[in-house]
Amino acid sequence: MKNTYVSIFKMEFKGELQYRAKAISGIATQFFWGIMYICLYMAFMSSDSVDGFTITQMASYIWLGQSFFALRFPGIHKSAGYEIANGNVCYKFTRPINLYNQWFTEYLGEKLASTLLRFLPIIVIASLLPTNYALSMPVNFTAFILFIISLIIGGLLCVSISMFSIYLTFVTLSPKGTTTIVATIANLLGGAIIPIPLMPSAIQNVLNFLPFRYISDLPFRIYIGNISITHGLIQIGISLIWLLITIVIGKLLIKNALKKTIIQGG
Amino acid sequence: MTKIIEFKNICKEFKIPEKRTGKWSTFLNFFKRKYKIINALKNVNFSIDEGDIVGYIGPNGAGKSTTIKIMSGILTPTTGECIIDGYTPWKNRKEYVKNIGVVFGQRSQLWWDVPVIDSFELLKDIYKIKDDEYKDTLKLLNEALDLEQLLPRPLRQLSLGQKMKCELAASLLHRPKILFLDEPTIGLDAVTKLAVRDFIKYINKVWHTTIILTTHDMNDIEALTNKIILIGKGQILYNGSFDTIKNKYANEKIIQVEFAKPYEKILLNGYELISHDKNVAVFKTKKDTEFHTKAFINEISKEYDIIDFSVNSLSVDEILARLYKEYELQEK
Repeated sequence: MKNTYVSIFKMEFKGELQYRAKAISGIATQFFWGIMYICLYMAFMSSDSVDGFTITQMASYIWLGQSFFALRFPGIHKSAGYEIANGNVCYKFTRPINLYNQWFTEYLGEKLASTLLRFLPIIVIASLLPTNYALSMPVNFTAFILFIISLIIGGLLCVSISMFSIYLTFVTLSPKGTTTIVATIANLLGGAIIPIPLMPSAIQNVLNFLPFRYISDLPFRIYIGNISITHGLIQIGISLIWLLITIVIGKLLIKNALKKTIIQGG
Repeated sequence: MTKIIEFKNICKEFKIPEKRTGKWSTFLNFFKRKYKIINALKNVNFSIDEGDIVGYIGPNGAGKSTTIKIMSGILTPTTGECIIDGYTPWKNRKEYVKNIGVVFGQRSQLWWDVPVIDSFELLKDIYKIKDDEYKDTLKLLNEALDLEQLLPRPLRQLSLGQKMKCELAASLLHRPKILFLDEPTIGLDAVTKLAVRDFIKYINKVWHTTIILTTHDMNDIEALTNKIILIGKGQILYNGSFDTIKNKYANEKIIQVEFAKPYEKILLNGYELISHDKNVAVFKTKKDTEFHTKAFINEISKEYDIIDFSVNSLSVDEILARLYKEYELQEK
């Protein structure tokens, strides 16, 4: 007898591994976006650095974002959204299992499998590019360890924020619309579109009080050395608190949605 | 017999947005919604004994699926009480659903892109089924439904009939006490239908599973059970044996007659002409008249030259259509 959630996780992982073409085209897309973003911000960054954020750091920041795209991009599990919209979710009600936990595990499994299939080729190729365009090594070993820890928390936070899309899908019955809204907000406020170090300091201060930058901005900046180890540790603590808060809110919202659910038709 | 399911005064109301029609209607709907209350179930009462197979029938939109969904813990009724195996489905959902299996004929519970056996293994872990128990159950289901070749294949590669077999097996892996089947034979071919019916009977016999099924195929009912509950417009109209209903219409006969030559007009005392085409005519016995072969031959051969005729009772489908009509359930 295995743990239920381990089994669900494995199932999603297995399902995702079946789509090789999806992974290959994903890598190509991420590579294209990476180059494009770097060229774009290079044009804007007239001097070598903006408030201590150098062009080399910027390139690494962008490449990490592309390598771990699946882990930092909030969305919705490939079947969960449609399941809610078309009513197939009724089967989930008939299982002795907590639905929030099940969706959380499913999405985490999908995200992890998709990340593991893509990140390595992008990291290898990006490291081989000419200086200024390349992904550099982490500043030091401690930073690398903190990067891994904060990346894991960031991935979990990304899933817990994605769970709001599930709640909104229950309300609107449109998985596509809700995920677009959640993803756009999270990406913009989390530095996935414009790297946060390039934003005006007033905005940066505001973003520090929101959960979104702990998804990917924090781990990436620890990696490139833009945030010191001590600061990094404090912020990892904050990200853990955000993870807890978003999970609790998500659970309450979904519990509430399930109570009101009506499944129509045959 | 112990009662396993009890439904007491269950009502279910749905609030649905009402669409206006006419000029500017879409625009108005966008800003101000009007709502309409629909009573899907009105004071539904019934009980079901342990180990029974019960057919739950009624026309489209009668409230069958709503009842099944309330019984399986998916929907909360507006008012009323429902005790199934000691639980209130919508209150102790997680505890309760361990004892039930559900198949919605038009939906799928298995994972789309992994082999069926993987879905089964996952369900095993979700229901926390013990290894040896799982093995025994799977073996039994395998033999009864002939699943051997289907299990290693992904669901998306299976035909509708093969899928239904897998769905049925999936809903029984944890050996539920009660099985809800919502149109389990929909869209299946004749052979698969028979296999599914045999299987349902078999499960009921070996595990003593209480089975509630909804269907529009009255042959399902005939083959599986004599106990039916008829629902229409959200109310229980009949609860009892199917034979009683059949006997009620047993007197009515349909007689098809073949004539030696075509007749322009055919009239027959005591019989109703249903159709007439050249030298073939179909009659029906009038209400409260008993069919008697000799009398019929005497009557018809007075004026007409007949070659052959056949007498049929009403088919099960016709009986049901009659029943719906009697209760004015037919949508106009």
